[in-house]
Amino acid sequence: MTSSRNRAALGTRTLPALGALGVVAWLTVGLCGCGPRGEYPSGPVVLVCPWSAGGGTDRVARQVAAQLENELGVPVNVVNATGGAGVTGHTRGALARPDGYTFAIMTAELNMLHWRGLTNITYRDYEPLMLINRDDAALFVRADAPWATLGELKAAVAANPRALKASGTAQGGIWHVALAGWLVADRLGASDVIWVSINGAAPSLQELMAGGVDMVCCSLPEAQALLDAGKIRALGLMAAARLPSFPDVPTFKEQGADWALGTWRGLGIPAGVSAARKARLTEAVRRVVTSKEYLEFMARAGFHPAAEPPDEFSRTLADLDQQFGAILTSPSFKSVQAARFGPMVFPAVLASLLAACVAALLATRGPKRRHAEPATRQGVARFAMVVAWVALYVVLAERAGFLLVAGTLLFVMLWRLRLRWYVALLIAAILVPAVYQVFAVYLRAPLPWGAWWAA
Amino acid sequence: MSDALRQAAGQVLASPQVWVVVVCSAAYGIFAGAIPGLTATMAVALFVPLAYWLDPIPALAAVVTMEACAIFAGDIPNALLRIPGTPASAAYADDAYAFTRRGHPERPLGVCLLFSAVGGLFGALVLIVVGRQLAKVALWFSVAEYFWLYLLGLSCAVIVARGSLLRATSALLLGLLLSTVGLSAVHTQARFTFGQPELYQGISFIPAMIGLFGISEVLRNMLALGERPPSGKAAPTAAKPGQGRIRRWAWQPLAVVLAPAGSLLRRRIPHVLRSGAIGSLVGMLPGAGADIGAWVSLAASKRFSKRPDEYGKGSLEGIGDASAANSAALAATWIPALVFGIPGDSVTAIVIGVLLMKNIKPGPEIFEKQAVLVYSIYLVFILANLVLIPIGLVAVKVGGFVVRIPKKVLLPVILLFCVVGAYAINGSYFDVWVVLGMGILGFVLERWSVPLGPVVLGIILGGPLEERFIQTLTGSDGSLAAFVSRPLAAGLGIACLALWASTLALALAPRGTTQP
Repeated sequence: MTSSRNRAALGTRTLPALGALGVVAWLTVGLCGCGPRGEYPSGPVVLVCPWSAGGGTDRVARQVAAQLENELGVPVNVVNATGGAGVTGHTRGALARPDGYTFAIMTAELNMLHWRGLTNITYRDYEPLMLINRDDAALFVRADAPWATLGELKAAVAANPRALKASGTAQGGIWHVALAGWLVADRLGASDVIWVSINGAAPSLQELMAGGVDMVCCSLPEAQALLDAGKIRALGLMAAARLPSFPDVPTFKEQGADWALGTWRGLGIPAGVSAARKARLTEAVRRVVTSKEYLEFMARAGFHPAAEPPDEFSRTLADLDQQFGAILTSPSFKSVQAARFGPMVFPAVLASLLAACVAALLATRGPKRRHAEPATRQGVARFAMVVAWVALYVVLAERAGFLLVAGTLLFVMLWRLRLRWYVALLIAAILVPAVYQVFAVYLRAPLPWGAWWAA
Repeated sequence: MSDALRQAAGQVLASPQVWVVVVCSAAYGIFAGAIPGLTATMAVALFVPLAYWLDPIPALAAVVTMEACAIFAGDIPNALLRIPGTPASAAYADDAYAFTRRGHPERPLGVCLLFSAVGGLFGALVLIVVGRQLAKVALWFSVAEYFWLYLLGLSCAVIVARGSLLRATSALLLGLLLSTVGLSAVHTQARFTFGQPELYQGISFIPAMIGLFGISEVLRNMLALGERPPSGKAAPTAAKPGQGRIRRWAWQPLAVVLAPAGSLLRRRIPHVLRSGAIGSLVGMLPGAGADIGAWVSLAASKRFSKRPDEYGKGSLEGIGDASAANSAALAATWIPALVFGIPGDSVTAIVIGVLLMKNIKPGPEIFEKQAVLVYSIYLVFILANLVLIPIGLVAVKVGGFVVRIPKKVLLPVILLFCVVGAYAINGSYFDVWVVLGMGILGFVLERWSVPLGPVVLGIILGGPLEERFIQTLTGSDGSLAAFVSRPLAAGLGIACLALWASTLALALAPRGTTQP
């Protein structure tokens, strides 16, 4: 059998193979009941989350997604597009195809990243759907700290600039901006309090307890455990009014400092989605964020729910963008940003060490023991086929859809590896839909359906 | 204490709901862990909406079981296809795969399964006995100590790698350099991104790992396909053909998979205890976790071994010690999460979310206020590791079919899974390019006999290492003395230097005594 297969001339194998290609295409498209799509939404919707699984934003996103599934009647899959301090996710959400099948959960960083030159994406690249959560900044000190009020702390900072240390997040993060903004609003220098760059509120609070910093700026829910335990005190809340859940915490405004800032989370679609789809999605989101289930979840997680409709949310975004622009581009804040040990120190050390190692390797090149097999021409061709396979998949998948592209590519590769065409066809026709079922349906990976088939 | 323990035992062991949840999550954890690209974190994150409907103890039982089973399941593709399911299993990828190439995939898998379960049990017991006291250790660690710890983990990766020290060091430095691509966490400034927004996320380690190990192996096989007959033909087994079905399905896995691993375990009890201790200690430090635990334990194992030459080429001892350590570390990561609310890894970050959802606040008083819950978690760890053995055996048996598939069918299918798995993590096509690029890089490096393990660990730890390096320098206003000014930092620094000195001495010493 093997010999007959090997003897078969290319010409006689091409025809059935081309026929098989057609069958694969038909099967993969037909199997899944594809065709012109019906009423929106008719396929899985992706919710892009710029922060990692397990974080606060991810938890809110997954709660919204789970409830939105019931409202829309289609799967809503959360995708964590993490990295780059939020650049990756906010960019992916804004640049997604505006067909209403991708939307994003945006966070306060949307209004900060572009002012710091990290991305070109601004709030204008999104059409806001709904503001769903607001958490205002608050300032905490240890329970045994000498300052009882904000005024006393301000006096201490003014009397002795650069003596006190603060943290709450990384350099340039939302809580850093909140603190620096207050200092500037109260006519102090933005760098009169030294900011220690610690990633996250929890480790910062621990550092506060250990005496490493003198104050922490973060949201009230983040500090609630230590606040309840009486280990720390809240000097003030950077909001327009007191929070019902923390009635004893005075606002900054009450204490004579005209300053309010907080973080927020909201949902947005890429600009350009049709008005009908936007309205459908907005209505579904509105029902979710006003539901009892959602409000219960937010209360348990310690987040403060909000439900700002699109128009109001747009205005809020524009206002916040102005506010952040003023702070982040101010000379005093820019000087705080400059790091003493620049970003190229570490790579430079590594590169010089690597160069030394490679030089030593070349110098002491001992008995060469290459265990490599000699490469044949067919071998090299197969090697190149793998590279081309992956490249073609990446280029085509989004357009023609996972099922068609992966099915065809898998079939072609199996066939080129000299499997009989109907065996290759069978494997591709069974395996590819099975992989789709497992990854896209059970495990919620956003395998593409294909732009060509979208209505 | 004993009262709370008894109450916890009643809630865990006597509840049918917990048993059903544990068995289902074990199967789900094994399934998710065995598919390259799917991680325990993703498996747990997908489960969170369901946790809403469960009581606190079944909800946490599900998370614990998934985690324990997923970390073992990562060893299955690691041994069969050389695609590590977790960074911890990358430590012994070459060792485990060496057996598959010789036609005995069941040997490393049996060892992984049994030693994982034993390591996990050890970790749970350690925490029941001294967990609370141990939690304080995490408070001793400032940025300088973390810097040395990361450096120690990276040095261990160099030591356990096969081949020359110089090549392994170059591999490590290459990995560290790759980790600097993207947005620098400590400076929030872009590096080597050439204005491409996709590059801001940097090179994620899972696609890098799939590419370096998995795709490079596909490429190597593609080049050599058809040159020699496949050697993976039905592994010689104890059961002879013609024997009954029951014998083949029930007896054979026990005899072939577990019995040799069991006898290895009996011989290596002190080593397993050492590995478990290393795993528990390292795992408890937030941000260090199972990965460093596995590498450090493997290096210690190699140092104490009578046959250090086998490491990297197929050493069951090394596989066993490393898998015991990473499973022991798993239980330990829960300690800082429960006591300080500081997650030790991404899974415990989700756990804190689940706890808050159930109105349970992590904190120092959790042992007083929620003693029953804490003991329940440890009992579930024990339960999960016991359930792991039968379910793991089934998975090993099913996985065994994979090596019997002819290469020309298997290779394209592996390729498909690598591509889909890499894409599934973040839904990013950039990650697919990373898989391909790293595959070619891995292929080239192997041709030059450069080990791949240190590259992976370099990519994982490069970011945190730099962060601690810069933070320490900033805190001390540029003085290098800050790295050794605290006693613990000085101790770790000396340990690190001693490790390098002894390794260099061994490498430069005249050969001759290393022959087995």
